[in-house]
Amino acid sequence: MIKKLIFNDVKNNKLMSAASVFFMTASAMLLALAVMLSADLMGAVEKSAERANIPDIMQMHTGSIDETLIKEFAESRSEVRDWQICRFLNLNNSEITLGSHSLADSTQDNGISVQGERFDYMLGMDNELPDVREGQVYVPICYRKMYELSVGDIMKIGGSELVIAGFIRDAQMNSMLASSKRFLVNAADYEKIRPRGEEEYLIEFLLTSGSDINEFSTAYAAAGLPSNGPAITKPLISMMNALSDGIMILIILLVGIAVILISILCIRFILLLQTERDRTEICTLKALGIEKSDIKRIYFSKYLMFSFCGAVIGLAAAFLLRLPLGEEIREFYGTGDNGIISCILSISAAAVAEGVILLAVWKILKKTDNMPPVEAMVSANDSERSGRRGQYLLIGFVTAICTFIMLVPQNLYTTMSAPDFVSYMGIGNSDMRIDVRMTEDIGKATERIASELETDKNVLKYSVLCTKTLTAELSDKAAVNLSVETGDHTLFPVIYSKGRYPEKENEIALSSMNAKELGLDVGSELYLTVDGEKTKYTVCGIYSDITNGGKTAKACSTAGGDSIVWSVIYVSLADGANKDGWTEHYRSLGADVTDIADYIGKTYGQTLDTVSSAAKVSAVTGAAVTAVVVMLFMRLIAEKKRGEISLQKALGFKAKDIMRSYFAKGIIPAVSGIAVGVLSANILGEMLCGAALKLLGADSFRFVIDGGRVYFILPMIIVITSASAVLTGIYPIKNVRAYECCYGKE
Amino acid sequence: MNYLLKVENLCKDNILNNITFSVEWGEMTAVMGPSGSGKSTLLYNIAGMDNPTGGRVWLGSSEITSMTEDEKASVRLHKTGFVFQQMNMMKNLSIMDNILLPAIHANKGKSGKTKKELTERAELLMKKLSVSEIAERSVKEVSGGQLQRACICRSMMNEPMILFADEPTGALNKSAAAEVMAEFEKLNSEGTTILMVTHDSKVAAACSRVLYLLDGRICGEIKLGKPVKGTERQREEKLNGWLSEMGW
Repeated sequence: MIKKLIFNDVKNNKLMSAASVFFMTASAMLLALAVMLSADLMGAVEKSAERANIPDIMQMHTGSIDETLIKEFAESRSEVRDWQICRFLNLNNSEITLGSHSLADSTQDNGISVQGERFDYMLGMDNELPDVREGQVYVPICYRKMYELSVGDIMKIGGSELVIAGFIRDAQMNSMLASSKRFLVNAADYEKIRPRGEEEYLIEFLLTSGSDINEFSTAYAAAGLPSNGPAITKPLISMMNALSDGIMILIILLVGIAVILISILCIRFILLLQTERDRTEICTLKALGIEKSDIKRIYFSKYLMFSFCGAVIGLAAAFLLRLPLGEEIREFYGTGDNGIISCILSISAAAVAEGVILLAVWKILKKTDNMPPVEAMVSANDSERSGRRGQYLLIGFVTAICTFIMLVPQNLYTTMSAPDFVSYMGIGNSDMRIDVRMTEDIGKATERIASELETDKNVLKYSVLCTKTLTAELSDKAAVNLSVETGDHTLFPVIYSKGRYPEKENEIALSSMNAKELGLDVGSELYLTVDGEKTKYTVCGIYSDITNGGKTAKACSTAGGDSIVWSVIYVSLADGANKDGWTEHYRSLGADVTDIADYIGKTYGQTLDTVSSAAKVSAVTGAAVTAVVVMLFMRLIAEKKRGEISLQKALGFKAKDIMRSYFAKGIIPAVSGIAVGVLSANILGEMLCGAALKLLGADSFRFVIDGGRVYFILPMIIVITSASAVLTGIYPIKNVRAYECCYGKE
Repeated sequence: MNYLLKVENLCKDNILNNITFSVEWGEMTAVMGPSGSGKSTLLYNIAGMDNPTGGRVWLGSSEITSMTEDEKASVRLHKTGFVFQQMNMMKNLSIMDNILLPAIHANKGKSGKTKKELTERAELLMKKLSVSEIAERSVKEVSGGQLQRACICRSMMNEPMILFADEPTGALNKSAAAEVMAEFEKLNSEGTTILMVTHDSKVAAACSRVLYLLDGRICGEIKLGKPVKGTERQREEKLNGWLSEMGW
């Protein structure tokens, strides 16, 4: 009997039923997809890291090295499970050609390496250890798509030629956010090419589980071991690896939660309308003696069936979308072992989405408890009189949420692609960047380029910043290694969340991650050991930096020119300067020149592409949800008010006038909702994205807003969509006949 | 006395004032009165659909007024039947399903009758009330008279102790009203106790007893006795005479 009731109800209320199933499907799909991709990503990253056996801490070092000292240190520390020293041959990008593409423009430090002896493996596409033969090379997977490479292509390093035998996943440096890329070669080829590059050492340690990486790092620095380069930790690698795809998942999750919210609002509305419309029937059932719990069960069974359909269709769609959306995850990290867990989790996510909606349905159905059986005698039309106030608010809620999900990814995209975004990377807004890294004497090479810049008429201003790795001693005597960028920080200032840039000697600014980890704030003091001498420095500012693991520092100058690890020169060009010619000229001087816009494109290109796709998908989703919900809502209102409309017509109102009044009732809350959505996307959205980026070390995050899009184009799209939806929804008013209020609908 | 329904000092806000009366087994009683006199309110309170503000009602030995909502629902399902003025059928079910609905609900569980048994009873009732041919039709596809007869079938499915009817012919034309009343008389002659509210003297004349309600009080009652074929006109004239005395 219940089956028949449900079947006939669905048949007679196709629109309401389809809308309910649509919302339940969308909720289940988005939540299941977000969970599935998260599980896939985490599983794949974990498996890849486990198979690659990445070190817990890796100290990069340029210069000579004494293995005995490191061995003694490792043996003296109980938490060291294993250690090794890998060699990385840093090559000049202009000497590398991949297929037909030169890497001269690459913003990465490209180099070759041999397979790790006992851990830190570079893995093949089946997560195997590739057997690299002489004359062969395995290329980082991120370059496959970027340079359209395939197996059999040739890689040239100066005069040497290597055949690309495959691609590798380098768990440590997979992400484009990591600044170096390792090509895997045979030991014999490494030795052959060695004279062409500068060798760097990767001093790697595997620690026992539960060890304090920071404490170990401090002990390492205190022991005065080689540390001329940044130190990278395992959690940082995992975070960088997960970032780009993580953002996509985060956006899907946000949209999913928003859709669940909208679904609950819409289903609540549909159900309230239906129970109000069926008031007489419900009261009749009560009058016949059927218990209220049984009446609720009849309605609930229908939504239970809807939710089952929604969950099944949603899960199927999520599984289908998993393939294209998870393609990058599979390519970069392979597939994890948690396929079953991923399935279970996604089914649970769909169940949670449906459960939340069903809970809301049950809560709404409880309202039928208060319908007295005596109302069975009241005419069905009388229920129209009990129209709730504020029902049009739902339109406002929906347009606000849809505007929010349309604008936040858009704002995030605009912010990340804006020139000022470099500020979050710890560098000021300039046109060009010159890196001086692989030379015998970085100090001298830097001076030579600086003197050239001094007389260059194309140069508006420039700033030379030399990075040194210095040992800092805190007030509690703990010692840590700091990468300190020295020079004039006033010319291209970064964004300071606290304090200001260093302008006096003995002032130091710290990246927010460093400040947090060291427990220092503006005004705190620390001692830097420069050329064996301790000098007191005062923290003058804290800034955002998401490069080099977010752990950097800035000071005006320190002595010890020969301890420079690398130097960077930021340049602003004069108007009308020929950028290409200028770049060529400085490259000919042996410098690595990068266009900042290009640098951002290459470093964040992958992430930007993801955010851009997410922004487009969110915009389409937002507009589609607005169209469906507003149209449905107005259609239901028109149906509910049929008696009233018929009466208005009987009294002489024209269809046009009635429609105009309903149009106003629909469009006013829609536009108000859009305004609220724009405001909350700019304020609340900024807070949400800021909180996420803070994890990566970017403090004081501010949206860069594309006024045209955010305040005009996108809101106009929703306004037009809402207006069209309202008009479509109220169109049936035309067909309401004046006699219906007397005889009923025929 | 052999009372089936006993009403004692029943009050409902300012609509009903200390109503006291009783109905015997097998009686067919009509409650009449002008609009706003409280007829329907009286019926809803007696049938356990509304909560009186004072007084007591017994159905057999059970006091309805002291019952919880669920207990009252159970009484409505198992012990009473109700015929609505507007029929109130589920529009998403066929006529047969509508008739079966309360019966299936009442027979849930192991000891209940099977669906086959219930369908047989429904078919029997429908045959008796001459609506067999509309069994599979939808609510929208039948006439008012047919629908009301189907509604009577539904109310009789659980073999109620008493049948309440609220203006059962109010929404019907003259010939349909006559058909429905004929069915009520037939049911009553077979032993079903009926209490109905009506403002139609022709309908009330078919009852053995008529109560007159004015401003929430019973002002009088007339016993017409069991109807005998061919005496309809006299009964109606007798009732109309009495009603004019009452100020109708």
